[in-house]
Amino acid sequence: MPQARHLDRTFNILRDLDRAATPDEIARLLVAAFGRYGISYVMAGIVPEPNLPARRHAGYVLASTMPEEWGRRYVTRGYAVHDPTVRRLCTSATPFDWSAVQPDTPAAGRVMNEATEFGIRAGLTIPFVTLDGEPGGISFSGEAIEIEAADRIAVNLVATYAVGQLLLMNSRPVPGEPVRLSPRERETLQWAAEGKTDAEIGLVMGITASGVDFHLRSARTKLDTVNKAHTVAQALRAGLIT
Amino acid sequence: MIHVVTPANALRYAGAMEQAWRLRHEIFVEEKGWTDLARPDGREIDQFDTAHAVHFLAMEGDRVIGYSRLLPTTRPHLLSDVYPELCEGERPAGPHLWEWTRQGVARSHRARGRVVNPVSIALLTGIVEWGMAHGLTGLLLQMPTLYMIHVIQLHFRAQPLGLPVQIGGEEIMAATAAFDDRTLARLRTVHGDSRSVLVSEPAYLAA
Repeated sequence: MPQARHLDRTFNILRDLDRAATPDEIARLLVAAFGRYGISYVMAGIVPEPNLPARRHAGYVLASTMPEEWGRRYVTRGYAVHDPTVRRLCTSATPFDWSAVQPDTPAAGRVMNEATEFGIRAGLTIPFVTLDGEPGGISFSGEAIEIEAADRIAVNLVATYAVGQLLLMNSRPVPGEPVRLSPRERETLQWAAEGKTDAEIGLVMGITASGVDFHLRSARTKLDTVNKAHTVAQALRAGLIT
Repeated sequence: MIHVVTPANALRYAGAMEQAWRLRHEIFVEEKGWTDLARPDGREIDQFDTAHAVHFLAMEGDRVIGYSRLLPTTRPHLLSDVYPELCEGERPAGPHLWEWTRQGVARSHRARGRVVNPVSIALLTGIVEWGMAHGLTGLLLQMPTLYMIHVIQLHFRAQPLGLPVQIGGEEIMAATAAFDDRTLARLRTVHGDSRSVLVSEPAYLAA
Protein backbone atom coordinates (compact mmCIF):
# COMPACT_ATOMS: atom_id res chain seq x y z
CA MET A 1 0.00 0.00 0.00
CA PRO A 2 1.72 3.22 -1.14
CA GLN A 3 0.12 5.37 1.60
CA ALA A 4 1.43 3.09 4.35
CA ARG A 5 4.88 2.93 2.77
CA HIS A 6 4.88 6.70 2.51
CA LEU A 7 4.01 6.99 6.19
CA ASP A 8 6.74 4.54 7.18
CA ARG A 9 9.25 6.54 5.19
CA THR A 10 8.14 9.76 6.90
CA PHE A 11 8.33 8.22 10.36
CA ASN A 12 11.80 6.83 9.61
CA ILE A 13 13.01 10.31 8.70
CA LEU A 14 11.52 11.76 11.89
CA ARG A 15 13.29 9.08 13.94
CA ASP A 16 16.62 9.88 12.25
CA LEU A 17 16.09 13.61 12.87
CA ASP A 18 15.40 12.84 16.51
CA ARG A 19 18.76 11.05 16.83
CA ALA A 20 20.82 13.64 14.98
CA ALA A 21 23.70 15.16 16.91
CA THR A 22 24.28 18.44 15.10
CA PRO A 23 22.43 21.00 12.94
CA ASP A 24 24.63 19.91 10.00
CA GLU A 25 23.48 16.34 10.40
CA ILE A 26 19.83 17.45 10.40
CA ALA A 27 20.43 19.46 7.22
CA ARG A 28 22.11 16.49 5.52
CA LEU A 29 19.28 14.15 6.51
CA LEU A 30 16.73 16.54 5.01
CA VAL A 31 18.58 16.83 1.70
CA ALA A 32 18.98 13.05 1.51
CA ALA A 33 15.29 12.51 2.27
CA PHE A 34 14.07 15.10 -0.25
CA GLY A 35 16.56 14.42 -3.06
CA ARG A 36 13.88 12.57 -5.01
CA TYR A 37 11.95 15.85 -5.41
CA GLY A 38 14.96 17.54 -7.03
CA ILE A 39 15.96 19.25 -3.78
CA SER A 40 19.74 19.77 -3.48
CA TYR A 41 20.02 22.39 -0.75
CA VAL A 42 18.41 23.35 2.52
CA MET A 43 18.73 26.52 4.57
CA ALA A 44 16.91 27.32 7.79
CA GLY A 45 17.13 30.56 9.69
CA ILE A 46 15.56 33.30 11.73
CA VAL A 47 14.90 36.57 9.87
CA PRO A 48 17.47 39.13 11.09
CA GLU A 49 16.05 42.44 12.33
CA PRO A 50 16.18 44.97 9.46
CA ASN A 51 18.85 47.20 11.06
CA LEU A 52 21.17 44.37 12.11
CA PRO A 53 24.65 44.69 10.54
CA ALA A 54 25.39 41.98 7.93
CA ARG A 55 28.40 40.74 9.92
CA ARG A 56 25.96 39.44 12.55
CA HIS A 57 23.66 37.63 10.10
CA ALA A 58 25.58 34.35 10.41
CA GLY A 59 24.15 33.83 13.90
CA TYR A 60 20.66 33.74 12.40
CA VAL A 61 21.37 30.71 10.22
CA LEU A 62 20.17 27.55 11.99
CA ALA A 63 21.49 25.15 9.36
CA SER A 64 22.60 25.32 5.73
CA THR A 65 23.90 23.03 3.00
CA MET A 66 24.09 25.86 0.46
CA PRO A 67 27.17 25.87 -1.83
CA GLU A 68 29.91 27.33 0.34
CA GLU A 69 30.67 30.35 -1.80
CA TRP A 70 27.02 31.26 -2.18
CA GLY A 71 26.38 30.81 1.55
CA ARG A 72 29.32 33.06 2.43
CA ARG A 73 28.33 35.72 -0.09
CA TYR A 74 24.71 35.60 1.08
CA VAL A 75 25.63 36.13 4.72
CA THR A 76 28.52 38.63 4.39
CA ARG A 77 26.59 40.84 1.99
CA GLY A 78 23.46 40.71 4.11
CA TYR A 79 21.33 39.30 1.26
CA ALA A 80 18.71 38.12 3.77
CA VAL A 81 17.51 41.74 3.91
CA HIS A 82 16.92 41.85 0.13
CA ASP A 83 15.95 38.24 -0.58
CA PRO A 84 12.26 38.42 -1.62
CA THR A 85 11.61 34.92 -0.25
CA VAL A 86 12.85 36.06 3.17
CA ARG A 87 10.74 39.20 3.11
CA ARG A 88 7.72 37.11 2.25
CA LEU A 89 8.27 35.11 5.46
CA CYS A 90 7.20 38.04 7.57
CA THR A 91 3.83 38.34 5.83
CA SER A 92 2.98 34.76 4.93
CA ALA A 93 2.21 31.89 7.27
CA THR A 94 1.80 29.25 4.59
CA PRO A 95 4.46 27.48 2.52
CA PHE A 96 5.15 29.03 -0.89
CA ASP A 97 7.04 28.21 -4.08
CA TRP A 98 9.70 30.69 -5.20
CA SER A 99 8.06 30.78 -8.63
CA ALA A 100 5.22 32.68 -6.93
CA VAL A 101 7.58 35.33 -5.54
CA GLN A 102 8.21 38.36 -7.74
CA PRO A 103 11.44 40.28 -7.05
CA ASP A 104 10.08 43.80 -6.46
CA THR A 105 13.37 45.73 -6.13
CA PRO A 106 16.60 45.65 -8.18
CA ALA A 107 18.44 44.19 -5.17
CA ALA A 108 15.85 41.44 -4.84
CA GLY A 109 16.25 40.58 -8.52
CA ARG A 110 20.03 40.48 -8.10
CA VAL A 111 19.85 38.01 -5.21
CA MET A 112 17.57 35.69 -7.20
CA ASN A 113 19.81 36.01 -10.27
CA GLU A 114 23.05 35.33 -8.44
CA ALA A 115 21.50 32.22 -6.91
CA THR A 116 21.05 30.74 -10.39
CA GLU A 117 24.85 30.92 -10.87
CA PHE A 118 24.99 28.20 -8.21
CA GLY A 119 22.28 26.08 -9.78
CA ILE A 120 19.56 27.40 -7.49
CA ARG A 121 16.65 28.04 -9.83
CA ALA A 122 13.70 26.69 -7.92
CA GLY A 123 12.73 26.60 -4.30
CA LEU A 124 10.13 26.11 -1.65
CA THR A 125 9.99 27.97 1.66
CA ILE A 126 8.07 27.01 4.78
CA PRO A 127 7.57 29.94 7.18
CA PHE A 128 7.50 29.50 10.95
CA VAL A 129 7.46 31.57 14.12
CA THR A 130 9.59 30.67 17.14
CA LEU A 131 8.39 30.52 20.72
CA ASP A 132 9.85 34.00 21.18
CA GLY A 133 7.80 35.30 18.26
CA GLU A 134 10.68 35.63 15.79
CA PRO A 135 9.77 34.89 12.15
CA GLY A 136 11.90 32.35 10.34
CA GLY A 137 11.85 30.00 7.42
CA ILE A 138 13.22 26.76 6.09
CA SER A 139 13.96 26.68 2.37
CA PHE A 140 14.56 23.79 0.02
CA SER A 141 16.09 24.55 -3.35
CA GLY A 142 17.68 23.10 -6.48
CA GLU A 143 17.70 23.21 -10.29
CA ALA A 144 14.09 22.08 -10.61
CA ILE A 145 11.71 20.87 -7.93
CA GLU A 146 8.66 18.71 -8.33
CA ILE A 147 6.61 17.65 -5.31
CA GLU A 148 3.22 16.03 -5.76
CA ALA A 149 0.43 17.66 -3.79
CA ALA A 150 0.01 14.54 -1.66
CA ASP A 151 3.70 14.61 -0.69
CA ARG A 152 3.71 18.24 0.35
CA ILE A 153 1.98 17.51 3.63
CA ALA A 154 4.69 15.00 4.53
CA VAL A 155 7.41 17.49 3.51
CA ASN A 156 5.80 20.14 5.76
CA LEU A 157 5.61 17.73 8.67
CA VAL A 158 9.25 16.63 8.36
CA ALA A 159 10.49 20.22 7.85
CA THR A 160 8.52 21.45 10.86
CA TYR A 161 9.90 18.70 13.06
CA ALA A 162 13.43 19.49 11.87
CA VAL A 163 12.97 23.20 12.67
CA GLY A 164 11.90 22.29 16.21
CA GLN A 165 15.07 20.21 16.68
CA LEU A 166 17.26 22.93 15.15
CA LEU A 167 15.83 25.60 17.46
CA LEU A 168 16.33 23.31 20.44
CA MET A 169 19.99 22.78 19.51
CA ASN A 170 20.41 26.49 18.87
CA SER A 171 19.21 27.54 22.32
CA ARG A 172 22.37 27.86 24.35
CA PRO A 173 22.41 27.21 28.07
CA VAL A 174 22.84 30.40 30.06
CA PRO A 175 26.57 31.12 30.33
CA GLY A 176 27.83 30.95 33.87
CA GLU A 177 28.87 27.87 35.79
CA PRO A 178 30.93 25.61 33.53
CA VAL A 179 29.39 22.14 33.22
CA ARG A 180 30.97 19.53 35.50
CA LEU A 181 30.40 15.86 34.76
CA SER A 182 30.74 13.20 37.42
CA PRO A 183 33.40 10.52 36.73
CA ARG A 184 30.64 8.02 35.93
CA GLU A 185 28.90 10.42 33.54
CA ARG A 186 32.20 11.13 31.82
CA GLU A 187 33.02 7.44 31.50
CA THR A 188 29.63 6.48 30.02
CA LEU A 189 29.85 9.38 27.57
CA GLN A 190 33.40 8.45 26.61
CA TRP A 191 32.28 4.90 25.79
CA ALA A 192 29.20 6.21 23.96
CA ALA A 193 31.54 8.39 21.87
CA GLU A 194 33.38 5.18 20.92
CA GLY A 195 30.13 3.88 19.48
CA LYS A 196 29.29 1.39 22.24
CA THR A 197 25.67 0.54 23.03
CA ASP A 198 24.23 1.02 26.52
CA ALA A 199 24.44 -2.73 27.13
CA GLU A 200 28.11 -2.85 26.05
CA ILE A 201 28.97 0.18 28.21
CA GLY A 202 27.24 -1.50 31.16
CA LEU A 203 29.35 -4.59 30.62
CA VAL A 204 32.69 -2.76 30.60
CA MET A 205 31.73 -0.55 33.55
CA GLY A 206 30.19 -3.37 35.52
CA ILE A 207 26.79 -1.66 35.86
CA THR A 208 23.35 -2.37 34.39
CA ALA A 209 22.12 -0.84 31.11
CA SER A 210 19.59 1.20 33.08
CA GLY A 211 22.46 2.50 35.22
CA VAL A 212 24.16 3.59 32.00
CA ASP A 213 20.93 5.23 30.89
CA PHE A 214 20.76 7.05 34.24
CA HIS A 215 24.25 8.56 33.83
CA LEU A 216 23.60 9.51 30.20
CA ARG A 217 20.34 11.25 31.13
CA SER A 218 22.03 13.10 33.92
CA ALA A 219 24.73 14.30 31.51
CA ARG A 220 21.98 15.30 29.06
CA THR A 221 20.35 17.46 31.69
CA LYS A 222 23.66 19.12 32.63
CA LEU A 223 24.56 19.84 29.00
CA ASP A 224 21.00 20.81 28.05
CA THR A 225 21.07 18.54 25.01
CA VAL A 226 18.29 16.79 23.13
CA ASN A 227 19.49 13.19 22.73
CA LYS A 228 22.44 10.86 23.25
CA ALA A 229 24.28 11.81 20.04
CA HIS A 230 23.84 15.53 20.78
CA THR A 231 25.18 14.98 24.34
CA VAL A 232 28.29 13.24 22.99
CA ALA A 233 28.80 16.01 20.41
CA GLN A 234 28.48 18.78 23.02
CA ALA A 235 30.72 16.98 25.51
CA LEU A 236 33.41 16.61 22.81
CA ARG A 237 33.05 20.26 21.86
CA ALA A 238 33.30 21.35 25.48
CA GLY A 239 36.41 19.19 25.95
CA LEU A 240 34.70 17.13 28.67
CA ILE A 241 35.58 13.92 26.82
CA THR A 242 38.10 13.25 24.07
CA MET B 1 -3.16 31.19 39.22
CA ILE B 2 -4.47 27.97 37.75
CA HIS B 3 -7.39 26.19 39.43
CA VAL B 4 -7.97 22.50 38.75
CA VAL B 5 -11.64 21.51 38.77
CA THR B 6 -12.68 17.88 39.26
CA PRO B 7 -15.86 16.33 40.73
CA ALA B 8 -14.16 16.61 44.16
CA ASN B 9 -14.38 20.40 44.18
CA ALA B 10 -16.90 21.13 41.39
CA LEU B 11 -19.49 22.46 43.86
CA ARG B 12 -17.21 25.27 45.00
CA TYR B 13 -16.40 26.12 41.37
CA ALA B 14 -19.98 26.15 40.04
CA GLY B 15 -19.82 29.88 39.25
CA ALA B 16 -16.37 29.67 37.69
CA MET B 17 -17.38 26.69 35.53
CA GLU B 18 -20.40 28.67 34.33
CA GLN B 19 -17.93 31.34 33.11
CA ALA B 20 -15.74 28.61 31.58
CA TRP B 21 -18.59 27.17 29.44
CA ARG B 22 -19.34 30.68 28.16
CA LEU B 23 -15.67 31.45 27.49
CA ARG B 24 -15.44 28.22 25.48
CA HIS B 25 -18.50 29.22 23.45
CA GLU B 26 -17.03 32.68 22.78
CA ILE B 27 -13.66 31.32 21.68
CA PHE B 28 -14.53 28.13 19.80
CA VAL B 29 -17.97 28.87 18.35
CA GLU B 30 -18.13 32.64 17.92
CA GLU B 31 -14.47 33.32 17.16
CA LYS B 32 -13.13 30.15 15.55
CA GLY B 33 -16.44 29.28 13.90
CA TRP B 34 -16.66 25.66 15.05
CA THR B 35 -20.41 25.87 14.45
CA ASP B 36 -21.22 22.26 15.27
CA LEU B 37 -20.38 23.11 18.89
CA ALA B 38 -22.87 26.03 18.95
CA ARG B 39 -25.47 25.92 21.70
CA PRO B 40 -28.52 28.18 22.05
CA ASP B 41 -27.71 28.92 25.72
CA GLY B 42 -24.16 30.10 24.83
CA ARG B 43 -22.51 27.41 26.99
CA GLU B 44 -20.18 25.18 24.99
CA ILE B 45 -20.45 21.74 26.61
CA ASP B 46 -19.79 18.53 24.68
CA GLN B 47 -20.15 14.80 25.22
CA PHE B 48 -16.69 14.62 26.81
CA ASP B 49 -17.50 17.00 29.67
CA THR B 50 -18.25 14.13 32.01
CA ALA B 51 -17.13 13.50 35.57
CA HIS B 52 -13.88 12.13 34.09
CA ALA B 53 -12.80 15.41 32.50
CA VAL B 54 -10.36 17.64 34.40
CA HIS B 55 -10.79 21.38 33.87
CA PHE B 56 -7.97 23.89 34.21
CA LEU B 57 -9.11 27.47 34.85
CA ALA B 58 -6.80 30.47 34.64
CA MET B 59 -8.34 32.99 37.02
CA GLU B 60 -7.75 36.63 37.79
CA GLY B 61 -9.68 37.29 40.99
CA ASP B 62 -13.12 35.80 40.36
CA ARG B 63 -12.82 36.00 36.60
CA VAL B 64 -11.97 33.07 34.32
CA ILE B 65 -9.49 34.37 31.72
CA GLY B 66 -8.26 31.08 30.26
CA TYR B 67 -9.27 27.47 29.99
CA SER B 68 -7.91 24.00 29.14
CA ARG B 69 -9.30 20.51 29.48
CA LEU B 70 -7.69 17.12 29.97
CA LEU B 71 -9.50 13.90 29.05
CA PRO B 72 -8.35 10.41 30.04
CA THR B 73 -7.38 8.34 26.97
CA THR B 74 -8.76 5.26 28.74
CA ARG B 75 -12.28 6.58 28.00
CA PRO B 76 -13.82 8.09 24.84
CA HIS B 77 -11.94 11.23 23.78
CA LEU B 78 -11.53 13.30 20.62
CA LEU B 79 -8.85 11.18 18.94
CA SER B 80 -10.81 7.97 19.57
CA ASP B 81 -14.28 9.28 18.70
CA VAL B 82 -14.03 12.45 16.59
CA TYR B 83 -10.74 12.48 14.64
CA PRO B 84 -9.62 8.83 14.45
CA GLU B 85 -8.24 9.53 10.95
CA LEU B 86 -5.40 11.57 12.54
CA CYS B 87 -3.83 8.44 14.00
CA GLU B 88 -2.62 5.95 11.41
CA GLY B 89 -1.03 3.32 13.60
CA GLU B 90 -2.12 1.89 16.91
CA ARG B 91 -3.78 4.60 18.98
CA PRO B 92 -1.73 5.33 22.10
CA ALA B 93 -3.77 5.21 25.31
CA GLY B 94 -3.29 4.56 28.98
CA PRO B 95 -3.50 6.11 32.43
CA HIS B 96 -0.19 7.92 31.82
CA LEU B 97 -1.48 9.73 28.72
CA TRP B 98 -4.25 12.38 28.78
CA GLU B 99 -5.66 14.34 25.88
CA TRP B 100 -5.30 18.13 26.00
CA THR B 101 -8.19 20.01 24.34
CA ARG B 102 -10.06 23.33 24.26
CA GLN B 103 -7.06 25.50 25.08
CA GLY B 104 -8.25 29.09 24.99
CA VAL B 105 -7.56 32.53 26.44
CA ALA B 106 -10.08 35.39 26.80
CA ARG B 107 -9.62 37.95 24.06
CA SER B 108 -8.95 40.65 26.67
CA HIS B 109 -5.88 38.75 27.85
CA ARG B 110 -4.16 37.98 24.58
CA ALA B 111 -0.95 39.99 24.47
CA ARG B 112 -0.49 41.75 21.18
CA GLY B 113 2.45 40.65 19.06
CA ARG B 114 3.30 37.75 21.32
CA VAL B 115 2.93 34.32 19.77
CA VAL B 116 2.74 32.45 22.99
CA ASN B 117 0.46 34.03 25.47
CA PRO B 118 1.53 34.15 29.16
CA VAL B 119 -1.89 32.80 30.19
CA SER B 120 -1.46 29.85 27.79
CA ILE B 121 1.97 29.15 29.24
CA ALA B 122 0.54 29.29 32.78
CA LEU B 123 -2.22 26.84 31.80
CA LEU B 124 0.25 24.43 30.22
CA THR B 125 2.56 24.74 33.25
CA GLY B 126 -0.41 23.88 35.48
CA ILE B 127 -1.26 20.89 33.29
CA VAL B 128 2.30 19.53 33.47
CA GLU B 129 2.48 20.16 37.25
CA TRP B 130 -0.82 18.37 37.78
CA GLY B 131 0.23 15.64 35.35
CA MET B 132 3.50 14.94 37.14
CA ALA B 133 1.68 14.73 40.46
CA HIS B 134 -0.81 12.25 39.00
CA GLY B 135 1.53 9.83 37.21
CA LEU B 136 1.17 11.23 33.70
CA THR B 137 4.15 11.05 31.36
CA GLY B 138 2.65 12.71 28.32
CA LEU B 139 -0.18 14.53 26.59
CA LEU B 140 -2.10 13.66 23.47
CA LEU B 141 -2.40 16.67 21.16
CA GLN B 142 -4.33 17.62 18.06
CA MET B 143 -2.94 20.83 16.65
CA PRO B 144 -1.93 22.78 13.55
CA THR B 145 1.34 21.31 12.21
CA LEU B 146 3.38 24.45 12.93
CA TYR B 147 2.57 24.30 16.69
CA MET B 148 4.87 21.29 16.85
CA ILE B 149 7.84 23.69 16.74
CA HIS B 150 6.75 25.28 20.03
CA VAL B 151 5.97 21.91 21.58
CA ILE B 152 9.53 20.78 20.79
CA GLN B 153 11.00 24.12 21.94
CA LEU B 154 9.25 23.65 25.28
CA HIS B 155 11.18 20.39 25.77
CA PHE B 156 8.29 18.04 25.13
CA ARG B 157 9.29 14.96 23.15
CA ALA B 158 6.86 15.16 20.26
CA GLN B 159 5.93 12.04 18.36
CA PRO B 160 3.56 12.52 15.41
CA LEU B 161 0.89 9.82 15.06
CA GLY B 162 0.11 10.31 11.39
CA LEU B 163 0.25 12.72 8.48
CA PRO B 164 -1.58 16.03 8.98
CA VAL B 165 -5.15 16.27 7.63
CA GLN B 166 -7.09 19.33 6.46
CA ILE B 167 -9.79 20.04 9.07
CA GLY B 168 -11.82 23.24 9.03
CA GLY B 169 -9.34 25.01 6.76
CA GLU B 170 -6.34 24.14 8.93
CA GLU B 171 -3.72 21.43 8.60
CA ILE B 172 -4.20 19.45 11.81
CA MET B 173 -1.97 16.69 13.15
CA ALA B 174 -2.05 14.40 16.17
CA ALA B 175 1.00 13.77 18.31
CA THR B 176 1.98 12.56 21.71
CA ALA B 177 4.10 14.96 23.75
CA ALA B 178 6.06 13.33 26.56
CA PHE B 179 7.18 15.58 29.40
CA ASP B 180 9.57 15.41 32.36
CA ASP B 181 11.35 17.72 34.83
CA ARG B 182 13.07 19.54 31.99
CA THR B 183 9.73 20.40 30.38
CA LEU B 184 8.52 21.93 33.63
CA ALA B 185 11.80 23.82 34.08
CA ARG B 186 11.54 25.21 30.53
CA LEU B 187 7.90 26.21 31.00
CA ARG B 188 8.77 28.01 34.23
CA THR B 189 11.63 29.84 32.51
CA VAL B 190 9.32 30.95 29.69
CA HIS B 191 6.66 31.87 32.24
CA GLY B 192 9.25 33.85 34.19
CA ASP B 193 8.24 32.35 37.54
CA SER B 194 9.78 29.32 39.20
CA ARG B 195 6.90 28.76 41.65
CA SER B 196 3.94 26.43 41.23
CA VAL B 197 1.06 27.96 39.28
CA LEU B 198 -1.53 25.67 40.87
CA VAL B 199 -3.85 26.85 43.62
CA SER B 200 -3.35 24.36 46.42
CA GLU B 201 -6.45 22.58 47.63
CA PRO B 202 -7.25 22.59 51.35
CA ALA B 203 -5.94 19.32 52.78
CA TYR B 204 -9.31 18.08 54.02
CA LEU B 205 -10.59 17.96 50.46
CA ALA B 206 -7.83 15.65 49.38
CA ALA B 207 -8.81 12.98 51.89
